[in-house]
Amino acid sequence: MKKLRWGVLFSYLILFIFAIITVFPFIYMLLGGLMSFQETTSIPPTLIPHHFEWSNYAKVFAQAPFARYFFNTVLTASITTIVSLFNSLLGAFAMVNLHFKGKGIVQIVLLSLLMVPGEAIIFTNYNTIAHMGLLNTYIGLVLPFLTSIFYMYYLQSYFGSISETIYKAAMIDGASDWEYIWKILVPMSKGGLFTVGLLSFISGWNSFLWPLLVTNEDTMRLLNNGLSTFASDAGSETQLQLAAATLTVLPILILYFIFRKQIIQGVVRNDLKG
Amino acid sequence: MKTNQKKAWLFLAPTIIFVTLFSIYPILRAFGMSLQKGSLIDLTWTGFSNYQYIFHDPEFWLAIKNTILYAVISVPVGLAISIMLAWIIFSKVKHKSFFETTFFMPYVTSTIAIGIVFRYIFNGDYGMLNFILRCLHLPAPDWIDDPAMSLITIIIFGIWSGLAFNIVILMGALRNIDPNFYTIADMYGASGKDKFWRITMPELVPTIAFLLTMNIIGAFKIYTSVYALFNGQAGVGNSGTTAVFYIYNKFQIVGTPGVAMAATVVLFLIILFATFLQRKMMKKIGEN
Repeated sequence: MKKLRWGVLFSYLILFIFAIITVFPFIYMLLGGLMSFQETTSIPPTLIPHHFEWSNYAKVFAQAPFARYFFNTVLTASITTIVSLFNSLLGAFAMVNLHFKGKGIVQIVLLSLLMVPGEAIIFTNYNTIAHMGLLNTYIGLVLPFLTSIFYMYYLQSYFGSISETIYKAAMIDGASDWEYIWKILVPMSKGGLFTVGLLSFISGWNSFLWPLLVTNEDTMRLLNNGLSTFASDAGSETQLQLAAATLTVLPILILYFIFRKQIIQGVVRNDLKG
Repeated sequence: MKTNQKKAWLFLAPTIIFVTLFSIYPILRAFGMSLQKGSLIDLTWTGFSNYQYIFHDPEFWLAIKNTILYAVISVPVGLAISIMLAWIIFSKVKHKSFFETTFFMPYVTSTIAIGIVFRYIFNGDYGMLNFILRCLHLPAPDWIDDPAMSLITIIIFGIWSGLAFNIVILMGALRNIDPNFYTIADMYGASGKDKFWRITMPELVPTIAFLLTMNIIGAFKIYTSVYALFNGQAGVGNSGTTAVFYIYNKFQIVGTPGVAMAATVVLFLIILFATFLQRKMMKKIGEN
């Protein structure tokens, strides 16, 4: 009995140490963004600021167009999410409910494309976008991401679990495919669509390399690129960098805490399918 | 029901158009460009000279070495810690979803933003990490500004941010194990250790195999976290350069897209090979 207790205690100790290691950077970021410059660089390090410097945030907004970054990020993440969800939805419907020649080949090609690392094609895509004259435009930012094989594959598993007889019954009742999609398929898989939407929005929010390539004007930058430029421009003003980092992380963290169940389930479900 | 419905292609059209333009074409184009030299607007055929160039470029080998070292160290260590934590949460703790939520936080947050935070925690003079190390009378290295430490710093950050995904997936897998196995094991008086090695681990093998593949592929693509930790650089004096960093540098900064694409093709083949090798290995383990 005693041995068992020690084991449990030890387990808890490990768990708490790692929990602190995980959460600490977030706490430090929040608090550091409210410190004075001296406090962020003092030895020993300050954890709780004496006086909350809310003015740091005003300075961040004064030094860089963060409002604009927010707008750009929300806009591109939303467009990518909505359009790619729509396109994946149509594609997944066709793959699940319709029979056509070449379906097997389409499926194999799409699945093997899932293996291609995004970083391997991002530079040639830059080339394409540059040729189209779309650098520093919203269209250029979203165009390559307007469909997602990954989400399509994911939705296929959702739609596949809806009985085929429902589709057949709808057809017999004279519904068109379009009506079936919007009146039956979408309402029945709302949860799945919502989860996919959340995951897509989050990855859009956090995207970095693509917007770094296709934008170089300050007014077209997204949050993460703006943030990284700001971090090097702000130089030694550590407290401002931490405040700016908080601005980038906090909205997603709030979204995460509201919808954590859907988000975690979405990720697990995605991946257990392999 | 008709077997050949042409309208299916209509529903698939947006996906097929975008995929062709932004997935299939760029792959072919990357191969093509790797055989060309010159600037983006003026490319001419050059044969395999780009490949010759990268194989003679010490910077390329450093990038590959760093990337492989990163993968070989951070993936197994991260996976081992994840398995330990997931198992502790699953078997010992009451508020499972609380811990799951906590550990998953790094997954949803921006690597750039958190990288900036880590830059302060890792700071050699006033950083929190070195403060703690000094309190414990341990050596306090200069994590960011010492070229010899770059890769280690990247690995620590990589492990930290990688745990989130692994733990959540492993928790999902642990929940899927039939609880009857444990009940029966208890009836026969199996110890915790027995239960872990004889029930849990074998049941987790497919999930671990999957995570291994995902983690290794992810490790080969590492870029953003290096950028964030070293403020847009690849570590002091390029000491922490990675494959994608090399490609980005050759493509965008130096302006030799052909060289960048040759490196891309090599990276692509390495990733494919790693995936293939790992699948083979896992099949072998599965057979035994």
